Amino acid sequence: MGLFGRGGKGPKEKPVRLFYASDIHGTEVLWRKFLNAARSYDSEILVMGGDLTGKAVIPLVEKDGGYEIELFGEKQWVSEEEQIAELERQVRGKGMYPHRMSSQEVERVAALTEDEREEWFAEVMLETFNQWLDLAGERLEGTGARCFVMPGNDDPPGVEEAIVAAEGVESCDGELVEFNGYSMVSLGYSNLTPFDSPRELPEDEIYRRVSALADTAPDISRCIFNLHVPPYDSQLDTAPELDENLAVVMAGSEPKQIPVGSTAVRELIDEYQPLLSLHGHVHESAGATRIGRTLAINPGSDYHTGRISGCLLALRGDDVKHQFING
Amino acid sequence: MSTESGGSPALFTRKATGLVREAKTRDALFYNLLWSSVALTFAFYWLFFAFYPGANPYVGILIAAGLGLPGSFLYAMLTQIMPRTGGDYVFNSRALHPSVGFAGNFSYCFWLAIVIGVYTTYFAAYGMGAWGRMMSGFTGSSGWLSFGDWFSTDWGLFITGTVALLLSAALFIRGGTRLFFKVQAIGFLIYVGGAFLLPILVGLFQDQAGFLHAFNDYAANLGVDHATEALAKSATDAGYAHSGFDFEMTVKSVSIFWFIFGFIYSSNYFAGEIRVTRGTHLKSMPGAVLLVVAALLVLLPSFLGLVDYDLNGMLGFADPAAYGFTAGAPAYPELMAIASNSPVFGTIIILGFAVGLLLWLPQTLLLVSRSMFAWSFDRIMPEKLSYVEPRSRSPLVAIGVMLLLSIGSTAIYAFTDWFSAVAVLLGLSLTLLITAVSGIVLPFRQPAMVEGSPYNRKVLGVPLISLVGVLALLGFGCAIGIILWDEGSGASLSANPGKLELALLVYVVAFAIYWVARAVRKSQGIDLSLSHRELPPE
Repeated sequence: MGLFGRGGKGPKEKPVRLFYASDIHGTEVLWRKFLNAARSYDSEILVMGGDLTGKAVIPLVEKDGGYEIELFGEKQWVSEEEQIAELERQVRGKGMYPHRMSSQEVERVAALTEDEREEWFAEVMLETFNQWLDLAGERLEGTGARCFVMPGNDDPPGVEEAIVAAEGVESCDGELVEFNGYSMVSLGYSNLTPFDSPRELPEDEIYRRVSALADTAPDISRCIFNLHVPPYDSQLDTAPELDENLAVVMAGSEPKQIPVGSTAVRELIDEYQPLLSLHGHVHESAGATRIGRTLAINPGSDYHTGRISGCLLALRGDDVKHQFING
Repeated sequence: MSTESGGSPALFTRKATGLVREAKTRDALFYNLLWSSVALTFAFYWLFFAFYPGANPYVGILIAAGLGLPGSFLYAMLTQIMPRTGGDYVFNSRALHPSVGFAGNFSYCFWLAIVIGVYTTYFAAYGMGAWGRMMSGFTGSSGWLSFGDWFSTDWGLFITGTVALLLSAALFIRGGTRLFFKVQAIGFLIYVGGAFLLPILVGLFQDQAGFLHAFNDYAANLGVDHATEALAKSATDAGYAHSGFDFEMTVKSVSIFWFIFGFIYSSNYFAGEIRVTRGTHLKSMPGAVLLVVAALLVLLPSFLGLVDYDLNGMLGFADPAAYGFTAGAPAYPELMAIASNSPVFGTIIILGFAVGLLLWLPQTLLLVSRSMFAWSFDRIMPEKLSYVEPRSRSPLVAIGVMLLLSIGSTAIYAFTDWFSAVAVLLGLSLTLLITAVSGIVLPFRQPAMVEGSPYNRKVLGVPLISLVGVLALLGFGCAIGIILWDEGSGASLSANPGKLELALLVYVVAFAIYWVARAVRKSQGIDLSLSHRELPPE
């Protein structure tokens, strides 16, 4: 594509093209677009930074020989398979999981305990997620691209195992991986949130895990941090403050914005100064900033619009150029 | 994990980040009401009433609201579909082309930088200046009169306006947006109380005879006895004559009320930052239109009960010095202050009005700096423009750029007559026109985006948002047509040749900036065309 042309004063080696995205939250069209970035942008490396799975299941309830569904606050009844498939596609497009159920099953699930329902959700979600992983194998075959995927704080148990078992993608969570002369340290856990999401860690544990990996990096000037949660107070972590009921706190006429990133991640970047630091987690705080010599990036997320928010990066020696993409 | 909705669950949700409760509709509504400058526009209308003999404000308001209402629905829908900070820049970049999105938004920001001069000079003249004159009118003190008159001099306008702008910028430098929002919340209460509630109450408890008596006493303290007679004589000498209802003038006067109803959807610039339900935007944008109509329909009879059409017409025609108001004709806050017969109530009314003008300055600095941030994020503008100062968390470079432009605009308004007060309406409204086109074509340009939204319905086979876009286009188009037709708008084709060309020239400059930036970035290895190009899903 000639995206990143020649120029600069660095050595004349060919840049490594990396496409990074995160927080697609179960939106299938975004997963498909992410995989196609390998061909569209001629990217050798794809990195998915976590929060792959959706947050909600929409029941399609059996009724009168068809299915009833409540979507965007409106009830619809459909009976033709084509119509049902179209509705399911719309639901997936919003990052939710359509699930055909009898009314008895809906009542049964509604009556489950919180933990039991979490398990049920994981089953529904993994069914779709495994199809995604199969698709990755098909789409990336012959491209030569390596695709690193890790779960984020919102992904339930089972996602990591599915990634490890998949053939088309490589797991990287809690590991140091190497490619094209660069190393990458990854951690998909976040610091503690008001949402009590499935994969959260205290700050000192985040520091301990990442520093243990970073210490093994062969060359920190060519090391990338792939940490789901952004560094604290970095402008990549600004989100509306929530009260104890998870309602947005308003300041005057606008949401009160506060930093919600990880102090440990901030400390790790300050201390190790990797070449690049990739983050997600805070959808509304897209941006790029320098922390010392480190270029820290959060492409944000617009997952429910059907557009993927990502970042194209060209790595050449210890130099990196970035471009945000809303594709 | 939880279930939502009553009865049979409509969905099951998990424990996950981001599942916050929606923002309250009233907050977005609050923003729209504040930024749309209702009080200033009301003041404008009566200051320029002499240009529209026979105009009926009730009909004018309803026409302007009717023209803006479809646009408010369109903006609400687009904000729901593309919930991102940046408003029209985001909508138009994705629906049309990045260069069009940039040009429209650049033009909008350019004209905001121009119009900000109106607010600074009006703050000086109709805020501080009117307050000084009012104190003199009630006390007979020449010191207060000199104090008030100074604000209406060229240097008074410029210095006061510049100080107001510097204070606005200092607000961000000192305490960032957090401090601003605190100030804004307090200011809004003073504004509503002073500029609306108290004048309405004064109108309820005072009659026209009482007002005229108070007006004469007030003017006597300013040095002119029997001011109402002097006013009538001066106006008649200047050619004033009573006019009955005139529909043409009523339609032309819509160009003034467009200042409210063309720009009452500005929460789109921030409303995407938080999770909201479909109803939030629909209530806060079209809802704001309806609420403002209701507020004006209450304020109007209160005001007209004291200062009727003839008196307003005469105030516009007469030489202000003839009836004691050497620095210029009084705006509605000063007239209601006179009617209140109390320097305390008068102070609350005038300062409430002035606070509304003052708050608009940092609001506009913030809005434009957000747009500049978006341009920089997409690499069209240098990265420096999106620099956020860590301590105050404010985009200081962007605010600094806007501050310089604003001071320049204040100087233009203070020392020249290059732009009449409402000439900028044309430039601002052209961006609305582009957004309407985006709404029409969005289902065809970005079908997946619309299909996955709550607005994926079709009416007679035509996408709903396209139909709303057509109505918005008609509304915006008619408003622009009125601006071009109305000789008092400052941008009419007949009376102000060159203004349309100037508005279009801003677009030409903006397109040139985009394409130059694109070429520069290409030489650096960055292809701007990729920023909004959709990746194929298949």
